[in-house]
Amino acid sequence: MAISVKLMHRPEPESTSYLRAALSGMALTFKHMVNPTKVTQQYPEEMTDLSPRWRGTHVMEQHADGRPKCVACGLCPTVCPANCIRLVGGEDDQGNRYPIVYEIDEFRCIFCGMCQEVCPVEAIHVGRHFENAEYTRDRFVYDLDRLMEQDHPSTLLWDPSDPSSE
Amino acid sequence: MAEMVNLTIDGHEVAVPRGTTILEAAKTIGSEVPHYCYHPGMSSPAMCRLCLVEVEGAPKPMPGCVTTVMEGQVVNTQSEQALSNRRGVLEFYLVNHPLDCPICDMSGECNLQDYVHDEGREHGRGREPKRIFGRDDFGGDVLFYGDRCVMCTRCVRFMSEVEQDHRLTVVERGNRSVIDTFYDEGLDGTNWHGNIVDICPVGALVSKDFLHKARAWDLTHTPSVCTSCSQGCNIDLHTRDNLVQRIKPRENLDVNAWWICDHGRHNYEWMNRGDRLEAPVMRSDSGSQAMGWGDALRALLEKSDGGGSVKAVASAMSSNEDLGALKALVDAMGGGEILYRSARAEDEVPLRGFPLLARRKDLSANSTAADLIGANRVGADDGTGGLDEVSNHDGIVLVLNDDLADQKEDFGNNASLFVYLGTHDSPGAAKADLVLPVTSHAEGEGTFTNHERRVQRFAKALDAPGMARPAWLVLGALVAEKGEGPAPRSAADAFAAMSSSVAAFAGITWDDLGTRGAVLNESVSVTGD
Amino acid sequence: MEPISGIPAIVAMALKNLGIFTLVILVVAYATYAERRVSAFIQDRRGPNRVGPFGLLQPIADGIKNILKEETLPGTASRFFFILAPILVLVPSLVTFAVIPIAAPLPTRWGVVDMIIADVPIGILYVLAFSSLAVYGVVLGGWASNNKYAFLGGLRASAQMVSYEVALGLSLIAVLMLAGNVTLTEMVWQQQQLGMWFAFPLSLAFILFVISAFAETNRLPFDMPEAESELVTGYHTEYSAMKFSAFMISEFGHMVTASALMATIFLGGWDLPGTWDNAFWYNGQLISGFAENGTPIAAQPAVWKTLLTFGGFAAKTGFFLLVYIWIRWTLPRFRYDQVMALGWKVMLPTSLGYVMLVAMTILVLDELGVQYGFLFGLVLTAVSGAATLSFMFFLDRGRTIAGAGAQRTQKVEVKTTPTAVVSGRAEPAPAGD
Repeated sequence: MAISVKLMHRPEPESTSYLRAALSGMALTFKHMVNPTKVTQQYPEEMTDLSPRWRGTHVMEQHADGRPKCVACGLCPTVCPANCIRLVGGEDDQGNRYPIVYEIDEFRCIFCGMCQEVCPVEAIHVGRHFENAEYTRDRFVYDLDRLMEQDHPSTLLWDPSDPSSE
Repeated sequence: MAEMVNLTIDGHEVAVPRGTTILEAAKTIGSEVPHYCYHPGMSSPAMCRLCLVEVEGAPKPMPGCVTTVMEGQVVNTQSEQALSNRRGVLEFYLVNHPLDCPICDMSGECNLQDYVHDEGREHGRGREPKRIFGRDDFGGDVLFYGDRCVMCTRCVRFMSEVEQDHRLTVVERGNRSVIDTFYDEGLDGTNWHGNIVDICPVGALVSKDFLHKARAWDLTHTPSVCTSCSQGCNIDLHTRDNLVQRIKPRENLDVNAWWICDHGRHNYEWMNRGDRLEAPVMRSDSGSQAMGWGDALRALLEKSDGGGSVKAVASAMSSNEDLGALKALVDAMGGGEILYRSARAEDEVPLRGFPLLARRKDLSANSTAADLIGANRVGADDGTGGLDEVSNHDGIVLVLNDDLADQKEDFGNNASLFVYLGTHDSPGAAKADLVLPVTSHAEGEGTFTNHERRVQRFAKALDAPGMARPAWLVLGALVAEKGEGPAPRSAADAFAAMSSSVAAFAGITWDDLGTRGAVLNESVSVTGD
Repeated sequence: MEPISGIPAIVAMALKNLGIFTLVILVVAYATYAERRVSAFIQDRRGPNRVGPFGLLQPIADGIKNILKEETLPGTASRFFFILAPILVLVPSLVTFAVIPIAAPLPTRWGVVDMIIADVPIGILYVLAFSSLAVYGVVLGGWASNNKYAFLGGLRASAQMVSYEVALGLSLIAVLMLAGNVTLTEMVWQQQQLGMWFAFPLSLAFILFVISAFAETNRLPFDMPEAESELVTGYHTEYSAMKFSAFMISEFGHMVTASALMATIFLGGWDLPGTWDNAFWYNGQLISGFAENGTPIAAQPAVWKTLLTFGGFAAKTGFFLLVYIWIRWTLPRFRYDQVMALGWKVMLPTSLGYVMLVAMTILVLDELGVQYGFLFGLVLTAVSGAATLSFMFFLDRGRTIAGAGAQRTQKVEVKTTPTAVVSGRAEPAPAGD
């Protein structure tokens, strides 16, 4: 069996020229130097176009009266492959099941979006958001209040007019 | 042996005793016919219509739970007719059953959920609104969600047939029928009503104690034995996050069948105690010093030489292995007296429908074994007192698992060596020379001997905190250091050591115990079932 | 016009000192800005544009940052030399500017002021002396850090600077022969007299000087001492905050000084085309040239002439700065052996030969009685041009600096099917040429 070897076609020493190569290189860089089109994106002013499939930090949807939509069914911690959701269910004063503790460790989260997919009440969503800087690590464990405060839109993967994707 | 009947179920030839129902016969070939109203411990009204199976020659499907087998019968549980029948019945259930699985505590262990997943329609066709009953507090530990009820009446029959205390009934008719209590009397005062939560096939009856606490699929089930009385009911400890979340009965027809009492069911918080001893501590007037096991045991052995006579306080909550190892250690130290204290209830609480089972007077799990190793019961019926002599003993004092809650801080003041083996600290252990942490019932493996001398195994459900070790391991190591045989490496070793030294346990081995236990001084050639 | 003297001369000197060094520091600061900005443009980026309009306050922000940063001192460093090194490297890079004339003399009420801090008679020797000093700071910094990368960087710096100083000095010999003096003011005057800038009659010297200057300032493609891909960042690996800043300032200071030197020696300094701006102190008189009969013609200094010539000087210096940056962002770094080979095997013999060539040409021209002037320059330009072209020719074609892909021994034939080994022992491979 023949062994095929990819040969690099490099110029022979006699046909190379450092000076000419350097000068043509300088011509090229000069061309770019005066080229007015820039590729830099002026980030805080110009926002990136996020992909429609973008999945960022979570948002908890709430009812009109400010209660979380979550019913503490326990499916998201079950389905979560990164084991980053901590949930303790309980009963509120109206007798509704609700999450007493709902924490997402955004550091552990791998943003697969399965929590959103599995949620039977369309409560937890991954968001269209990526600016997550904080001063301490523990600020990345988002509790229920924090998740409800998130004001960024939820991902385009979820269509509110067709909540169960039918 | 009853007369055997031969029949064919799903193409399998089966031979079962005459009088067996088709449903039970099908179980022998591993085929579970879906059913709601049928429960092996109660009568069968054949009203859920879910176990209808096709019997060749019969004009219409027959309910498997009440149709007894006949010679030469050919039964199809998975035929087109049986399946379409079940699909139809399930659809009827879902006419009114709310799909609130996300907030239902039964979710994950719900029969309706499983059946519909397996055999039901993919999408509902219902357009009409479902009836709404809301939630009712049945008293005791039971909450009733009327909407979820599938009207199998298992709960009604349990109260009337097994507990024989008519507290529940069906009121109204048709699709308005609902389970209710009489004149708001509720279930308060009954002692076995926790079982109706277990037997409810859906989430209609849920435990208040367990309400929203954990999801069924998060729980780890560990077979264990109830410690709340000497009946020795077989239970499963349902654990999550290294905490016991609830107790469920485990079937053992020799002891408790499918039932346990409410007293035992809710007596689990002590297993989740947080204030545990986590390291061996040596106490002296100059203060306490934590140390490793090696140092602690060496110090103990050093001090025990020439310490005088031994007085040991055992606990009737300790396993057979612990008690056997304690007995062996006391003997190895030159012999002495072993005492134990055990609380006694005023009355038994029998389950009328299953006479084998009662909440016994003896509220300790293992006082039988304590008696068998020759320990003497002291103290009052509330489990206190009786230790004055030990308190002032000037020899060696060993305390195993008795938390000395009623003792004063000068307990064991005169002792030449006072060793306290416990799960948590107590004022009575203030003068202890050595405080050794041992595992609790839920954290270790072992056996209990119940009131009828039945030895039953329990398994390890929780991880022990810190350096806590099983008492049989600690005591067994000391016995071995005293030169009395090898140190046990497992609970089976400890059990073997005890069965060789305690006459009552002679002839019984760890492997004999099986899942249903073995009774002492009886033929043990047949194990388990 | 009389030169300034007395108290006003001292005041003028102080003002010049203050002004020129402020200017140099400012140019250094904005050279860093230019570097980042130009490099960004070359790479189609925008560069710093956040601090101030067009990012113009960026150097100030950098300065504040570097001053406020924590100074670290490696535990095993030699403390005294570690602190001394950045000072040693910073001072020579700046003081060189003292002997560079930056504009035509400025007439004032108190007399004519030379636009140079110190017109010392040793001129270019002062420059060479101080540029040689800078290497001590680098070597010391590398050694005192007690870090092998820093040390290697320092060693490389010393070897490289020594090597290229030879070519630098030899290429200056040709200039000195033509200018006949070592002071930079005289060189500017001689270029005015010749009617052309030395870049033309001494083109090869110009090229050698530029290359050597690049090597002396440790700029790409000669930045071996701080080759970050090999030596982390070389001799200043262990430096932080203001001490690191001192190294950076000195690097850019060297760049500015070298640019100004190249502009002065080869591009006429502050001289602009035409004879209108010529000015030189001749026997205590400011003259603009000589008449046919040899009598000096008095120069007419004016403020506008000073400003205009300063503009010319700034433009030339700026041009070389731009070339520095431009080349840095174009050419890759040499290998170390290539640097050494270029220095010793090419630059040194070429500059030696060129000195002889220029000397012979001048001798021949003098023997022929050609007056120092435009014709003189033209002949030299032709001779130098020929030398430059042949130098280029021999330098080219992979003879001196060849890429990795152009090794002669690279001619390897790969057979796709292995040949059968007949004698059980493979034939020795033919030796490569």
